Amino acid sequence: MTRPEDSLAERQAALVAALVAGAPIPDGFDPRLIDTARRALLRKRSSEVARHWPMLAASFGERWPTVFAEWAEARPTRGSFQDGLALARSLPLTDLAAEELAAHQSTPWTRLLRRLRPRP
Amino acid sequence: MTGSTGEAGSYGVGIGWRPEIAGFVAALPGLRFTEVIAESVPASGPVPAPLATLREAGTAVIPHGVRLSLGGAEPVDPARVAHLAAAARQLDAPLVSEHIAFVRAGGLEAGHLLPLPRSREAVDAVVANVARTQAELPVPIALEPIAAIFDWPDDELDEAAFLSEILDRTGALLLLDIANVYANARNRGAEPTDLLDRLPLDRVAYVHVAGGAEHDGIYHDTHTHAVPQEVLDLVTELCARHRPPALLLERDGHYPPADTLRTELDAIATASGYPVVT
Repeated sequence: MTRPEDSLAERQAALVAALVAGAPIPDGFDPRLIDTARRALLRKRSSEVARHWPMLAASFGERWPTVFAEWAEARPTRGSFQDGLALARSLPLTDLAAEELAAHQSTPWTRLLRRLRPRP
Repeated sequence: MTGSTGEAGSYGVGIGWRPEIAGFVAALPGLRFTEVIAESVPASGPVPAPLATLREAGTAVIPHGVRLSLGGAEPVDPARVAHLAAAARQLDAPLVSEHIAFVRAGGLEAGHLLPLPRSREAVDAVVANVARTQAELPVPIALEPIAAIFDWPDDELDEAAFLSEILDRTGALLLLDIANVYANARNRGAEPTDLLDRLPLDRVAYVHVAGGAEHDGIYHDTHTHAVPQEVLDLVTELCARHRPPALLLERDGHYPPADTLRTELDAIATASGYPVVT
Protein backbone atom coordinates (compact mmCIF):
# COMPACT_ATOMS: atom_id res chain seq x y z
CA MET A 1 0.00 0.00 0.00
CA THR A 2 1.28 3.45 -0.83
CA ARG A 3 0.86 6.52 1.34
CA PRO A 4 0.52 10.17 0.31
CA GLU A 5 4.10 10.81 1.45
CA ASP A 6 5.42 8.24 -1.02
CA SER A 7 6.94 9.63 -4.19
CA LEU A 8 4.88 10.16 -7.33
CA ALA A 9 6.86 7.37 -9.01
CA GLU A 10 5.96 4.85 -6.28
CA ARG A 11 2.34 5.88 -6.25
CA GLN A 12 2.03 5.67 -10.04
CA ALA A 13 3.64 2.22 -10.01
CA ALA A 14 1.25 0.98 -7.30
CA LEU A 15 -1.75 2.28 -9.23
CA VAL A 16 -0.69 0.65 -12.52
CA ALA A 17 0.01 -2.64 -10.71
CA ALA A 18 -3.53 -2.53 -9.26
CA LEU A 19 -5.00 -1.82 -12.69
CA VAL A 20 -3.14 -4.42 -14.76
CA ALA A 21 -1.41 -6.92 -12.50
CA GLY A 22 -3.95 -7.80 -9.81
CA ALA A 23 -2.16 -5.85 -7.05
CA PRO A 24 -4.24 -4.36 -4.20
CA ILE A 25 -5.88 -0.99 -4.78
CA PRO A 26 -3.82 1.78 -3.13
CA ASP A 27 -5.45 3.51 -0.15
CA GLY A 28 -7.83 6.35 -0.77
CA PHE A 29 -8.95 5.45 -4.30
CA ASP A 30 -12.61 4.63 -4.93
CA PRO A 31 -12.49 0.82 -5.35
CA ARG A 32 -15.63 0.81 -7.51
CA LEU A 33 -14.14 3.32 -9.97
CA ILE A 34 -10.74 1.61 -10.04
CA ASP A 35 -12.51 -1.65 -10.83
CA THR A 36 -14.47 0.08 -13.60
CA ALA A 37 -11.22 1.46 -15.03
CA ARG A 38 -9.57 -1.97 -14.72
CA ARG A 39 -12.37 -3.60 -16.70
CA ALA A 40 -12.35 -0.80 -19.31
CA LEU A 41 -8.61 -1.42 -19.81
CA LEU A 42 -9.26 -5.15 -20.28
CA ARG A 43 -12.01 -4.42 -22.85
CA LYS A 44 -9.67 -2.11 -24.76
CA ARG A 45 -6.90 -4.70 -24.60
CA SER A 46 -9.24 -7.43 -25.85
CA SER A 47 -10.21 -5.39 -28.91
CA GLU A 48 -6.56 -4.62 -29.66
CA VAL A 49 -5.67 -8.32 -29.44
CA ALA A 50 -8.68 -9.10 -31.67
CA ARG A 51 -7.21 -6.84 -34.38
CA HIS A 52 -4.05 -8.96 -34.44
CA TRP A 53 -5.91 -12.26 -33.94
CA PRO A 54 -9.29 -11.92 -35.70
CA MET A 55 -9.95 -15.67 -36.05
CA LEU A 56 -9.05 -16.33 -32.44
CA ALA A 57 -11.42 -13.59 -31.26
CA ALA A 58 -14.18 -14.59 -33.70
CA SER A 59 -14.01 -18.21 -32.55
CA PHE A 60 -15.36 -17.11 -29.16
CA GLY A 61 -18.05 -14.85 -30.65
CA GLU A 62 -19.60 -12.51 -28.10
CA ARG A 63 -17.76 -14.28 -25.28
CA TRP A 64 -14.37 -13.00 -26.53
CA PRO A 65 -14.08 -9.97 -24.22
CA THR A 66 -14.93 -12.19 -21.21
CA VAL A 67 -12.63 -15.04 -22.26
CA PHE A 68 -9.81 -12.58 -22.83
CA ALA A 69 -10.44 -10.70 -19.58
CA GLU A 70 -10.33 -13.93 -17.53
CA TRP A 71 -7.01 -14.85 -19.09
CA ALA A 72 -5.53 -11.34 -18.96
CA GLU A 73 -6.73 -10.14 -15.55
CA ALA A 74 -3.49 -10.80 -13.70
CA ARG A 75 -1.19 -10.85 -16.74
CA PRO A 76 0.22 -7.43 -17.64
CA THR A 77 0.36 -6.93 -21.40
CA ARG A 78 3.43 -7.93 -23.37
CA GLY A 79 1.94 -6.32 -26.47
CA SER A 80 -1.22 -7.28 -28.39
CA PHE A 81 0.52 -9.80 -30.64
CA GLN A 82 2.31 -11.60 -27.79
CA ASP A 83 -0.84 -11.59 -25.64
CA GLY A 84 -2.85 -13.24 -28.44
CA LEU A 85 -0.08 -15.75 -29.09
CA ALA A 86 0.12 -16.79 -25.43
CA LEU A 87 -3.67 -17.05 -25.16
CA ALA A 88 -3.97 -19.08 -28.39
CA ARG A 89 -1.33 -21.54 -27.15
CA SER A 90 -3.13 -22.02 -23.83
CA LEU A 91 -6.64 -22.92 -25.08
CA PRO A 92 -8.31 -25.51 -27.32
CA LEU A 93 -8.83 -23.83 -30.71
CA THR A 94 -11.30 -24.05 -33.58
CA ASP A 95 -9.82 -25.03 -36.97
CA LEU A 96 -9.74 -21.41 -38.20
CA ALA A 97 -8.12 -20.15 -35.01
CA ALA A 98 -5.58 -23.01 -35.14
CA GLU A 99 -4.75 -22.07 -38.75
CA GLU A 100 -4.26 -18.47 -37.69
CA LEU A 101 -1.90 -19.59 -34.92
CA ALA A 102 0.01 -21.79 -37.36
CA ALA A 103 0.32 -18.90 -39.84
CA HIS A 104 1.67 -16.58 -37.13
CA GLN A 105 4.17 -19.20 -36.02
CA SER A 106 5.36 -19.89 -39.54
CA THR A 107 8.88 -19.19 -40.72
CA PRO A 108 10.41 -19.74 -44.19
CA TRP A 109 11.51 -23.15 -42.93
CA THR A 110 8.18 -24.30 -41.50
CA ARG A 111 6.57 -23.17 -44.77
CA LEU A 112 9.16 -25.11 -46.77
CA LEU A 113 8.49 -28.22 -44.69
CA ARG A 114 4.74 -27.84 -45.23
CA ARG A 115 5.28 -27.63 -49.00
CA LEU A 116 7.47 -30.73 -48.96
CA ARG A 117 4.93 -32.71 -46.93
CA PRO A 118 3.05 -35.18 -49.17
CA ARG A 119 -0.58 -34.13 -49.70
CA PRO A 120 -3.20 -36.57 -48.43
CA MET B 1 0.74 24.20 -45.52
CA THR B 2 0.05 27.55 -43.91
CA GLY B 3 -1.00 28.67 -47.38
CA SER B 4 -3.85 26.18 -47.37
CA THR B 5 -5.74 27.55 -44.38
CA GLY B 6 -8.85 29.62 -44.73
CA GLU B 7 -10.29 32.51 -42.70
CA ALA B 8 -7.84 33.85 -40.12
CA GLY B 9 -5.66 30.75 -40.46
CA SER B 10 -8.37 28.24 -39.48
CA TYR B 11 -8.43 24.65 -40.55
CA GLY B 12 -12.14 24.11 -39.77
CA VAL B 13 -13.42 20.55 -39.38
CA GLY B 14 -11.21 17.49 -39.76
CA ILE B 15 -11.15 13.79 -38.91
CA GLY B 16 -8.41 11.62 -37.45
CA TRP B 17 -6.68 9.53 -40.10
CA ARG B 18 -6.75 5.81 -39.37
CA PRO B 19 -5.77 3.02 -41.83
CA GLU B 20 -9.30 1.56 -41.69
CA ILE B 21 -10.90 4.79 -42.95
CA ALA B 22 -8.05 5.99 -45.20
CA GLY B 23 -10.27 5.83 -48.30
CA PHE B 24 -13.02 7.83 -46.63
CA VAL B 25 -10.59 10.49 -45.41
CA ALA B 26 -8.87 10.76 -48.80
CA ALA B 27 -12.24 11.37 -50.50
CA LEU B 28 -13.31 14.32 -48.30
CA PRO B 29 -13.30 17.28 -50.68
CA GLY B 30 -12.97 20.05 -48.09
CA LEU B 31 -10.48 18.47 -45.67
CA ARG B 32 -7.69 20.86 -44.63
CA PHE B 33 -6.25 18.97 -41.68
CA THR B 34 -6.05 15.54 -40.14
CA GLU B 35 -4.22 13.79 -37.34
CA VAL B 36 -2.25 10.57 -37.32
CA ILE B 37 -1.17 8.47 -34.33
CA ALA B 38 2.45 9.58 -34.00
CA GLU B 39 3.71 6.15 -32.96
CA SER B 40 2.43 4.71 -36.27
CA VAL B 41 4.48 7.08 -38.45
CA PRO B 42 7.79 5.56 -39.60
CA ALA B 43 10.68 7.69 -38.26
CA SER B 44 12.54 7.48 -41.54
CA GLY B 45 11.97 6.30 -45.07
CA PRO B 46 9.02 7.34 -47.16
CA VAL B 47 5.85 8.70 -45.57
CA PRO B 48 3.05 6.09 -45.96
CA ALA B 49 1.47 6.67 -49.38
CA PRO B 50 -2.04 7.71 -48.22
CA LEU B 51 -0.55 10.35 -45.91
CA ALA B 52 1.88 11.54 -48.60
CA THR B 53 -1.09 12.02 -50.95
CA LEU B 54 -2.94 14.08 -48.35
CA ARG B 55 0.17 16.22 -47.79
CA GLU B 56 0.55 16.81 -51.54
CA ALA B 57 -3.08 17.96 -51.62
CA GLY B 58 -2.23 20.56 -48.96
CA THR B 59 -3.87 18.80 -46.02
CA ALA B 60 -1.95 19.39 -42.78
CA VAL B 61 -1.19 16.17 -40.86
CA ILE B 62 -0.65 16.48 -37.10
CA PRO B 63 1.23 13.68 -35.30
CA HIS B 64 -0.75 12.84 -32.16
CA GLY B 65 1.30 10.93 -29.59
CA VAL B 66 -0.37 8.48 -27.23
CA ARG B 67 2.53 6.71 -25.51
CA LEU B 68 5.03 9.39 -24.49
CA SER B 69 3.78 9.39 -20.88
CA LEU B 70 4.43 13.09 -20.28
CA GLY B 71 2.88 12.75 -16.83
CA GLY B 72 5.15 9.93 -15.73
CA ALA B 73 7.27 10.63 -12.66
CA GLU B 74 10.28 9.37 -14.61
CA PRO B 75 11.85 11.48 -17.40
CA VAL B 76 10.33 10.85 -20.83
CA ASP B 77 12.13 8.26 -22.93
CA PRO B 78 14.47 10.22 -25.28
CA ALA B 79 13.87 7.66 -28.06
CA ARG B 80 10.12 8.32 -27.91
CA VAL B 81 10.72 12.09 -27.98
CA ALA B 82 13.08 11.69 -30.96
CA HIS B 83 10.41 9.67 -32.74
CA LEU B 84 7.76 12.33 -32.20
CA ALA B 85 10.16 14.98 -33.54
CA ALA B 86 10.99 12.80 -36.55
CA ALA B 87 7.28 12.29 -37.28
CA ALA B 88 6.76 16.07 -37.22
CA ARG B 89 9.62 16.56 -39.70
CA GLN B 90 8.49 13.67 -41.91
CA LEU B 91 5.02 15.15 -42.24
CA ASP B 92 6.11 18.81 -42.25
CA ALA B 93 3.54 19.19 -39.48
CA PRO B 94 2.48 22.58 -38.10
CA LEU B 95 2.44 21.17 -34.56
CA VAL B 96 2.32 17.92 -32.60
CA SER B 97 0.10 16.88 -29.70
CA GLU B 98 0.28 14.60 -26.67
CA HIS B 99 -1.65 14.01 -23.44
CA ILE B 100 -1.44 15.23 -19.87
CA ALA B 101 -1.39 11.66 -18.56
CA PHE B 102 0.86 8.73 -17.83
CA VAL B 103 0.72 5.34 -19.52
CA ARG B 104 3.33 3.26 -17.69
CA ALA B 105 5.02 3.04 -14.31
CA GLY B 106 7.18 0.58 -12.43
CA GLY B 107 7.94 -1.31 -15.65
CA LEU B 108 4.26 -2.00 -16.44
CA GLU B 109 2.25 -0.67 -19.37
CA ALA B 110 -1.23 0.49 -18.40
CA GLY B 111 -2.52 0.20 -21.97
CA HIS B 112 -4.34 3.52 -21.82
CA LEU B 113 -4.01 7.11 -20.64
CA LEU B 114 -4.19 7.39 -16.86
CA PRO B 115 -4.97 10.55 -14.88
CA LEU B 116 -2.39 12.31 -12.72
CA PRO B 117 -2.93 13.44 -9.17
CA ARG B 118 -3.68 17.15 -9.42
CA SER B 119 -0.76 17.97 -7.12
CA ARG B 120 2.19 20.38 -7.28
CA GLU B 121 4.51 17.37 -7.58
CA ALA B 122 2.63 16.11 -10.64
CA VAL B 123 2.61 19.59 -12.21
CA ASP B 124 6.39 19.71 -11.76
CA ALA B 125 6.78 16.27 -13.36
CA VAL B 126 4.65 17.19 -16.40
CA VAL B 127 6.35 20.57 -16.84
CA ALA B 128 9.81 18.95 -16.75
CA ASN B 129 8.81 16.29 -19.29
CA VAL B 130 7.16 18.81 -21.61
CA ALA B 131 10.33 20.94 -21.46
CA ARG B 132 12.48 17.90 -22.32
CA THR B 133 10.17 17.22 -25.26
CA GLN B 134 9.96 20.81 -26.49
CA ALA B 135 13.77 20.97 -26.55
CA GLU B 136 13.80 18.33 -29.32
CA LEU B 137 10.68 19.29 -31.28
CA PRO B 138 10.86 21.39 -34.47
CA VAL B 139 7.29 22.69 -33.91
CA PRO B 140 4.98 23.66 -31.01
CA ILE B 141 3.25 21.02 -28.91
CA ALA B 142 -0.40 21.04 -27.86
CA LEU B 143 -1.30 19.24 -24.62
CA GLU B 144 -4.55 17.34 -24.24
CA PRO B 145 -6.32 16.80 -20.90
CA ILE B 146 -7.83 13.32 -20.69
CA ALA B 147 -11.10 11.74 -19.64
CA ALA B 148 -10.60 10.19 -16.21
CA ILE B 149 -12.75 7.38 -14.86
CA PHE B 150 -11.36 7.99 -11.35
CA ASP B 151 -9.59 10.77 -9.49
CA TRP B 152 -6.64 10.52 -7.09
CA PRO B 153 -7.54 10.79 -3.40
CA ASP B 154 -5.53 13.86 -2.52
CA ASP B 155 -5.92 16.44 -5.28
CA GLU B 156 -4.58 19.86 -4.31
CA LEU B 157 -5.79 21.74 -7.40
CA ASP B 158 -9.01 21.68 -9.36
CA GLU B 159 -8.84 20.76 -13.02
CA ALA B 160 -8.83 24.34 -14.37
CA ALA B 161 -6.03 25.42 -12.01
CA PHE B 162 -4.02 22.26 -12.72
CA LEU B 163 -4.25 22.68 -16.51
CA SER B 164 -3.71 26.45 -16.49
CA GLU B 165 -0.56 26.08 -14.41
CA ILE B 166 0.87 23.44 -16.76
CA LEU B 167 0.07 25.57 -19.83
CA ASP B 168 1.49 28.74 -18.24
CA ARG B 169 4.72 27.10 -17.16
CA THR B 170 5.35 25.22 -20.44
CA GLY B 171 4.05 27.79 -22.91
CA ALA B 172 2.34 24.87 -24.66
CA LEU B 173 -0.89 25.08 -26.64
CA LEU B 174 -4.08 23.35 -25.52
CA LEU B 175 -5.68 20.46 -27.37
CA LEU B 176 -9.11 20.56 -25.81
CA ASP B 177 -11.11 17.35 -26.05
CA ILE B 178 -14.67 18.53 -25.70
CA ALA B 179 -15.90 14.95 -25.25
CA ASN B 180 -13.51 14.56 -22.31
CA VAL B 181 -14.85 17.78 -20.80
CA TYR B 182 -18.34 16.31 -21.16
CA ALA B 183 -17.33 12.88 -19.77
CA ASN B 184 -15.52 14.26 -16.73
CA ALA B 185 -18.30 16.68 -15.86
CA ARG B 186 -20.97 14.00 -16.25
CA ASN B 187 -19.05 11.47 -14.16
CA ARG B 188 -18.22 14.01 -11.44
CA GLY B 189 -21.69 15.55 -11.44
CA ALA B 190 -20.36 18.96 -12.51
CA GLU B 191 -21.34 21.49 -15.18
CA PRO B 192 -19.08 21.13 -18.26
CA THR B 193 -19.39 24.84 -19.06
CA ASP B 194 -17.84 25.72 -15.68
CA LEU B 195 -14.52 24.31 -16.92
CA LEU B 196 -14.86 26.07 -20.30
CA ASP B 197 -15.33 29.35 -18.45
CA ARG B 198 -12.04 28.91 -16.61
CA LEU B 199 -9.70 27.51 -19.28
CA PRO B 200 -7.46 29.76 -21.41
CA LEU B 201 -9.52 29.21 -24.57
CA ASP B 202 -7.25 31.53 -26.57
CA ARG B 203 -4.55 28.84 -26.23
CA VAL B 204 -6.65 26.15 -27.92
CA ALA B 205 -4.79 24.81 -30.97
CA TYR B 206 -7.62 22.47 -31.89
CA VAL B 207 -10.46 20.49 -30.41
CA HIS B 208 -11.21 16.78 -30.31
CA VAL B 209 -14.78 15.61 -30.69
CA ALA B 210 -15.64 11.96 -30.06
CA GLY B 211 -18.37 9.57 -29.07
CA GLY B 212 -18.79 7.44 -26.00
CA ALA B 213 -21.20 5.28 -24.09
CA GLU B 214 -22.30 4.53 -20.56
CA HIS B 215 -21.00 1.32 -18.98
CA ASP B 216 -21.21 0.39 -15.28
CA GLY B 217 -22.89 3.74 -14.54
CA ILE B 218 -19.88 5.64 -15.89
CA TYR B 219 -19.69 7.51 -19.19
CA HIS B 220 -16.72 6.15 -21.15
CA ASP B 221 -15.00 8.19 -23.86
CA THR B 222 -14.76 5.21 -26.22
CA HIS B 223 -14.19 6.79 -29.65
CA THR B 224 -16.17 3.80 -30.95
CA HIS B 225 -19.70 5.13 -30.48
CA ALA B 226 -21.68 7.99 -32.05
CA VAL B 227 -21.02 11.55 -30.86
CA PRO B 228 -23.87 12.36 -28.44
CA GLN B 229 -25.97 15.48 -29.02
CA GLU B 230 -24.80 16.77 -25.62
CA VAL B 231 -21.20 16.83 -26.91
CA LEU B 232 -22.26 18.70 -30.07
CA ASP B 233 -24.14 21.20 -27.89
CA LEU B 234 -20.94 21.69 -25.90
CA VAL B 235 -19.08 22.42 -29.17
CA THR B 236 -21.58 25.23 -29.73
CA GLU B 237 -21.10 26.47 -26.14
CA LEU B 238 -17.33 26.47 -26.68
CA CYS B 239 -17.53 28.31 -30.01
CA ALA B 240 -19.82 30.93 -28.48
CA ARG B 241 -17.04 31.70 -25.97
CA HIS B 242 -14.06 31.41 -28.32
CA ARG B 243 -14.13 29.53 -31.59
CA PRO B 244 -11.05 27.30 -31.95
CA PRO B 245 -9.18 27.29 -35.30
CA ALA B 246 -9.90 23.60 -35.85
CA LEU B 247 -12.08 20.72 -34.63
CA LEU B 248 -11.34 17.07 -35.28
CA LEU B 249 -13.58 13.98 -35.09
CA GLU B 250 -11.82 11.04 -33.44
CA ARG B 251 -13.05 7.58 -34.32
CA ASP B 252 -10.97 4.57 -33.29
CA GLY B 253 -12.98 1.47 -34.08
CA HIS B 254 -16.41 -0.01 -34.90
CA TYR B 255 -16.27 2.24 -37.97
CA PRO B 256 -19.76 3.09 -39.17
CA PRO B 257 -20.80 3.40 -42.82
CA ALA B 258 -19.37 6.43 -44.66
CA ASP B 259 -22.75 8.19 -44.61
CA THR B 260 -22.83 8.08 -40.82
CA LEU B 261 -19.31 9.53 -40.56
CA ARG B 262 -20.25 12.25 -43.05
CA THR B 263 -23.32 13.10 -40.99
CA GLU B 264 -21.16 13.39 -37.85
CA LEU B 265 -18.66 15.66 -39.61
CA ASP B 266 -21.52 17.82 -40.91
CA ALA B 267 -23.00 18.01 -37.40
CA ILE B 268 -19.64 19.28 -36.05
CA ALA B 269 -19.55 21.86 -38.87
CA THR B 270 -23.08 22.99 -37.97
CA ALA B 271 -22.31 23.12 -34.24
CA SER B 272 -19.15 25.19 -34.80
CA GLY B 273 -20.26 27.30 -37.75
CA TYR B 274 -17.42 26.09 -39.99
CA PRO B 275 -18.01 25.02 -43.60
CA VAL B 276 -18.84 21.37 -44.23
CA VAL B 277 -15.90 19.31 -45.51
CA THR B 278 -17.92 16.42 -46.94
